[in-house]
Amino acid sequence: MFRTAILALFLTQILPAQSSKLLDILSEELDRNFKVLKEKGEPPPYYLAYAVSDQEAGSATAAQGALLASNERRSRTLDITIRVGSPKLDNYHSVRGEFAQFTRGAAISLDDNPDAIKRMLWRETDRCYRQAAERLINIKTGKEVKVADREQSDDFSEAPPAHAQEQTPKLEFDLGDWEKHVRKLSKALANRPAVLNSSVSVVGSREVKYFVSSEGARLMHGRPMARVMLSAGAKADDGMDLATFDSFDASTVKKLPKQDQLKEAFEKIGRDVEALRTAPTVDAYVGPAILSGRAAGVFFHEIFGHRIEGHRLKDETDGQTFLKAIGTRVLPEFLSVIFDPTLKQAAGVDLNGWYEFDDEGVTARRVAVVEKGILKTFLMSRTPIPNLPVSNGHGRRQAGNEVVSRQSNLMVEAAQTVPEKKLREMLIDELKRQNKPYGYYFQEITGGFTNTSRRGIQAFKVIPLVVYRIYLDGREELVRGADIVGTPLASFAKIIAAGDKLEVFNGYCGAESGSVPVSAISPAILVSELEIQKKESSRERPPLLPPPPPPAETGGGLQ
Amino acid sequence: MKRALAMLAALAALLPGQKPENDPILKAMREEMARARELKLPGVEDQLYYVEYALDDVRSFSASATLGALIRSDDARARVPRVQVRVGKPAFDNTNYMYTDLFGAARAGGGVPLDNDLSGLRHYYWLATDRVFKGSVEAIARKRAALRNVTQQDKLNDFAPAQPTKVYLERMEPKVKRDQWLKLTRELSSVMTAFPKVTGSQVDFEASFGNSYLVNSEGTESRYPDGLFFVRAVASAQASNGMTVRDASMIVGRNLEKLPPEAELRKSIEQLGRNVTAMLDAPLAEDYAGPMLFEESASPQLFAHLLTANFGLTRQPVAEPGRQFPAIQSEFEGRKGSRVLPEWMDVVDDPTREEWHGQELLGSYPVDMEGIVPQPLKLIGNGTLENFLLTRLPVRGFEGSNGRARLPGPFGSKAAVFSNLFVTAKQSLPDADLRKKLMEMVAQRGKPYGIIVRKLDMPASGGLDELQRQSMASGQRGGSTRPVALPLLIYRVYPDGKEELVRGVRFRGLNARSLRDIVAASSTENLFHFAGNGSPLPVLAQGGYVALHSVVAPSVLFEDLELEKRQEDWPKLPLVAPPAMVSAK
Repeated sequence: MFRTAILALFLTQILPAQSSKLLDILSEELDRNFKVLKEKGEPPPYYLAYAVSDQEAGSATAAQGALLASNERRSRTLDITIRVGSPKLDNYHSVRGEFAQFTRGAAISLDDNPDAIKRMLWRETDRCYRQAAERLINIKTGKEVKVADREQSDDFSEAPPAHAQEQTPKLEFDLGDWEKHVRKLSKALANRPAVLNSSVSVVGSREVKYFVSSEGARLMHGRPMARVMLSAGAKADDGMDLATFDSFDASTVKKLPKQDQLKEAFEKIGRDVEALRTAPTVDAYVGPAILSGRAAGVFFHEIFGHRIEGHRLKDETDGQTFLKAIGTRVLPEFLSVIFDPTLKQAAGVDLNGWYEFDDEGVTARRVAVVEKGILKTFLMSRTPIPNLPVSNGHGRRQAGNEVVSRQSNLMVEAAQTVPEKKLREMLIDELKRQNKPYGYYFQEITGGFTNTSRRGIQAFKVIPLVVYRIYLDGREELVRGADIVGTPLASFAKIIAAGDKLEVFNGYCGAESGSVPVSAISPAILVSELEIQKKESSRERPPLLPPPPPPAETGGGLQ
Repeated sequence: MKRALAMLAALAALLPGQKPENDPILKAMREEMARARELKLPGVEDQLYYVEYALDDVRSFSASATLGALIRSDDARARVPRVQVRVGKPAFDNTNYMYTDLFGAARAGGGVPLDNDLSGLRHYYWLATDRVFKGSVEAIARKRAALRNVTQQDKLNDFAPAQPTKVYLERMEPKVKRDQWLKLTRELSSVMTAFPKVTGSQVDFEASFGNSYLVNSEGTESRYPDGLFFVRAVASAQASNGMTVRDASMIVGRNLEKLPPEAELRKSIEQLGRNVTAMLDAPLAEDYAGPMLFEESASPQLFAHLLTANFGLTRQPVAEPGRQFPAIQSEFEGRKGSRVLPEWMDVVDDPTREEWHGQELLGSYPVDMEGIVPQPLKLIGNGTLENFLLTRLPVRGFEGSNGRARLPGPFGSKAAVFSNLFVTAKQSLPDADLRKKLMEMVAQRGKPYGIIVRKLDMPASGGLDELQRQSMASGQRGGSTRPVALPLLIYRVYPDGKEELVRGVRFRGLNARSLRDIVAASSTENLFHFAGNGSPLPVLAQGGYVALHSVVAPSVLFEDLELEKRQEDWPKLPLVAPPAMVSAK
């Protein structure tokens, strides 16, 4: 008996935490439904895929030494893709910019229980099939009476079915430990009365993706992720809300920075936000500026990246900035832009935007979108566009959404670079040439918005957090209230030099198919002309009463 | 008074850490409240005259499963704050204006520490009070501006006076038995594997351990335990004509010690499986007008459904010109002193009563959301409407609370809902005689059969979508768009006593006025519990703020009620047959 017990113990330890049993359940029910629907469905489906995202995560947030939130969760989300008609014309066909949504991200059992999972698969397949058939019939009726769409590309492309069953490392996240860490870290700004809000958050997560299709694809793959987010907020006397932010991403919880490094970063954003309170505000400005590597990465992601997402070029309502631009110059000759989802690290930093297979089961690959300034291709899902008939592994989604083409790890490569010190000198030369008293240095950018639709102006706005004025004598001055605005084509033409040091920005990008992890890697860039606009700002006064006494005086702490 | 004595006893028995003077939440509230009195904006006339801090401190475990498999589980802690500031005077302040909440309560924000950290708690209240105060000053200014352009129908005060109270009960501390509850949820959901015709089913378990806090600037303080647990089950299937048939149950309580044994829970879920399977083969009902008997849970469900939104009175907020606010009015508005039930019936709301024939009542509460200790209240006496449920919100004809503020309301108010509702009949018949009377009426009217209703879909298990579809369908056919609960278990009863389950009907023209036409009641009484949100027909899977209610009522016979066939476009049956069940027991 004793031996059996030990054996059983070992058995449970070597059993994989993720299951190919789920893959079996998915493919059995897929085959059964696909077969019957093909026989009896009118119109019949020609493609069916089940994708399950199994996510587990732990997170904790603290402020001023006290825990604000703490959570552990696990979910399994089912997404069904069913295509009726033919690859030439199916239910996903884009009609005047309408975005077809069939899946709704149903929650399925966390246990590998065939009864529970198959019932849900069956019900959801039926629901998606009905909607798909109805939309195709509507499209066909509409097509007969209206002039054919100008764009004649197919609705779905061929892709070889991929097979892989990879074990994803277990999530090693001790919530109790991290609650202690974030409490302790968050105390660092408790004694700075000017910092009104501050917080430290940590997330440890693991996502395993399962994918089966009627073409025979069978995939199980995934990744753990970890992230620490630091934020601080204050109010200037004129009412302007100020915020600073820093974050650290790592491929596993263990690889997150040590407490000392996090504390240092947290104190820095606290000092920055305090300094911003008394910094002068900007006026509208057009002139030379340097974007740090991280800022340039965000700039490229927002302004360039979203315009080379292939599906937008299929949509008549889109601005289609680069529709006919393949083979033409879109950036200065010394710059190339590569998207590489197979890259896990750059400049010594773990990247956020990597994956092995995209959400249509297509193998990830490196895609050179711009080579020496010339546009070569777009980011493609399995939705073809004119002259680009196949996917290059960039069909992505957040569970619960339909797939569209999205960015991965964006890399700006410069053929000629200069040391950062030289970049500053070049900025000052440019200031003199343009007869300007000062230029700008954008150190941190949090994100931005871009409008690619034809409705509205083809413009972008990015939101800088930490910005300096650089005067002719090289002096730096912290300023507040600056937004970068502009139109994309004009902005790219004005990049005149790049630094020699790569920096990484890790983040999450939100678009039609939800929020997906992405990275941007870039050297610092010098732009001869950038437009800066005064930030819209609150006029509400700072708090009327002084803050209550900090923890030291009240003897607060844990109970 | 009995209640107050019991509370004093509870206070004396509190553990040292439980003493209100040491409670860090109460302490943080008091300390920041003392500072809040100093809030002043230079150049602004309107002074702060009232501050209220409330907090629900909750640990909540929940799990959902289907066919023996877990779908989700959650174990969360939350501290949900409410901060209110009133500026001006009770006769005219920043509330009862259509944008009060926009400028006030909504700005309190989240971020209350989960730790009992005095400094962190005070930091939250400091910033929240500052924002809400500034918003309140803006709201009163805008309210005044709006009043230059619109005339007010009633000139009512904005806030009624109340005596400060102090009520401290022992905190409820969480005892989470994660593994045990996960097992229970899985087990209960596996009951449905024995009913292969049921194609959709789910069991949800929730155990919430909560404590409610209140401090206001008039000196009122309260802290009392506020727990909730439930086992909720739904089962559905698609009949051959495409119609979805469904049954649902929710076993609810305040204290987990009262959770029924597993065998009893299983039995109630098996009953759902049997009911849904029976409904699949049940004939479609026809339109009907005639005598109808409400038995078992259908009777208290009916009273709860028709009365719940009618004992509270709403008040039109000051609106911007051309932007009237469509508030749902009580059907009893202006009918005090009128007959709303037969003369031989009474209705009493009693929040002080904890038990009924050995069964726990769920609607009891020691003190309401405005710190008022409630007393029993006769709402209907000898069939005549005598009282309404009141909060500190002055409404037409009434100013002064009777301690019924149980849910947050709009425009800075609280909403009044009942607690334990006792519907009693001074004339009554044994069950068999009531049934005999039904059959006599059926014979008199020359009907081939009568109708007995045993269960209503209240709270509604079909979700908000279905509720909207139902009220639209009713509106299109000339009925009221006020949502009416569907009958879940409804039977034809023939002169030979044979009963036949039917499906596919809804009530026509059923509302609070229908209750005047009750002709007889039983001497036995039925008890029903539910969690509501103040709406006439709450939804079963209700989120947000809920209040627990218990209703006791006899079975009731109506002379004349109507049913109409549900004529909806039912979806076709799936092309693919359901998957075979492999683990059927």
